[in-house]
Amino acid sequence: MINVALPKGRLGEKVYGLFSRAGYDFPGMLEKNRRLVFENEALGMRCFWVKPFDVPVFVERGTADIGAAGKDILMERAPDVYELLDLKAGKCRMSVAARNDYHDDPGRVLRVATEFPRIAQEYYSGLGREIDIITLRGSLELAPVLGLSDVIVDIVETGTTLRENNLSVISDIAELSARLIANKSAYKFKGKEISEIMRRLQEVSC
Amino acid sequence: MFNFRLTPEEEASLKLRGLYESYGYSFYRMKRFEEYDFYAGRKDFLTSKSILTFTDINGKLMALRPDVTLSVIKHTGSGKFYYDEKVYRVPRNASTFHEISQSGIECMGHLQPSDLREVLELAILSLHLIADGKRCVLDVADAGQVSRILQGNDDTAVVLHCLAGKNLHGLKAMNAPDELVRLAEIDSHPENSMPYLTTETAGIIDGLKKYHDELRIDFSAVNSLNYYNGLVFRGFIEGIPEAILSGGQYDKMMNMMGHKDAQGIGFAVYLDMIGRRTLNDD
Repeated sequence: MINVALPKGRLGEKVYGLFSRAGYDFPGMLEKNRRLVFENEALGMRCFWVKPFDVPVFVERGTADIGAAGKDILMERAPDVYELLDLKAGKCRMSVAARNDYHDDPGRVLRVATEFPRIAQEYYSGLGREIDIITLRGSLELAPVLGLSDVIVDIVETGTTLRENNLSVISDIAELSARLIANKSAYKFKGKEISEIMRRLQEVSC
Repeated sequence: MFNFRLTPEEEASLKLRGLYESYGYSFYRMKRFEEYDFYAGRKDFLTSKSILTFTDINGKLMALRPDVTLSVIKHTGSGKFYYDEKVYRVPRNASTFHEISQSGIECMGHLQPSDLREVLELAILSLHLIADGKRCVLDVADAGQVSRILQGNDDTAVVLHCLAGKNLHGLKAMNAPDELVRLAEIDSHPENSMPYLTTETAGIIDGLKKYHDELRIDFSAVNSLNYYNGLVFRGFIEGIPEAILSGGQYDKMMNMMGHKDAQGIGFAVYLDMIGRRTLNDD
């Protein structure tokens, strides 16, 4: 049995679409109900929805053999897993944004609001810049608008929310998309099945 | 007579002692702590950079041992030893120190290829002993080869992260050397991967033919070039979600600790993981 962890929400539905096109269907997966685990005995696979941030935990700890996680979450959690394939779903960027009238003062400690403290820390460490991280859970755009932070480090898809709040991107950190990940031990013993899933997903992801 | 039952970890530890003694390894018992300075100057070699310290009654700053190999090199420098010890580390993504039980061996001195082969054989036999009938696999790679390819590369840490994660799309996106990308994607069965190995490593692997079904040449075993310089290996048992055995060749560390022209190779078995089978273990 291959256990698959998919992220709940929009990205998960896109990824499930890829699984479905690749021939891996799990009846009831997209129905509005509270079921979390779906099995397809004929395929020898079990699929479950988990919170996007938790997919790497389920895979790293072996509860799921494979899973799909956003690159942002992989960068932030840095799990010890294999990142086998770029599924190319949910493409966006991890960027630094600030108020349109923002002028950086390199002599000051930079105040950075983010949901991704590890990514922000690593990015600014690479630049040799001292920062003060303000970890928030959503509505990041408010932070520079109200003066809580100088910049934000956040996911930017279309940039509409930034524009509507008079913010703009000042630098990009990474290109993001969903990635197929695998538990290292599961890959040793279920490698044939996982490679086949990977091959079929590669054919339908573009 | 009292009746008692051994825990799976205790049983594994005793079986491993029997195995290592049958190959001529001597038991090595060490103190639980060393002076802090001993580790502070060698943090590059430690998997966990945090060290648990305390002040001794004479005012010296001491450390509870985060690593066994460094102590064995310091106090011996040559010979074949096995140990059954606790180490104190902050595991990756954990927020506190853990006491970790490990058994393992260290083989140090002027080593011959036969010594390296024997250590790999003992790694496979250790997996057999604790696998309890489950399948096991030993991934083997040559860190020296990776080091040679990456010489002068500015992004070594990022490239190694991709290599350890079998992240071929990442390696290609950062224009990693073609030779490295080929190592990352080779068919891991020893018979098919011989052309990608150095003559010395190929000779060692060839001498382990009877274990070829459990041996994989897999360069994802190389996740750092600080500690190991030659052979690197990781052991997996079906149903246990992480590598339960980890080891490699540490000649660089031997030289840095004053044992010029000497080599060292060893491995640790993480006994606490024996109880960490996953629920979906079919």
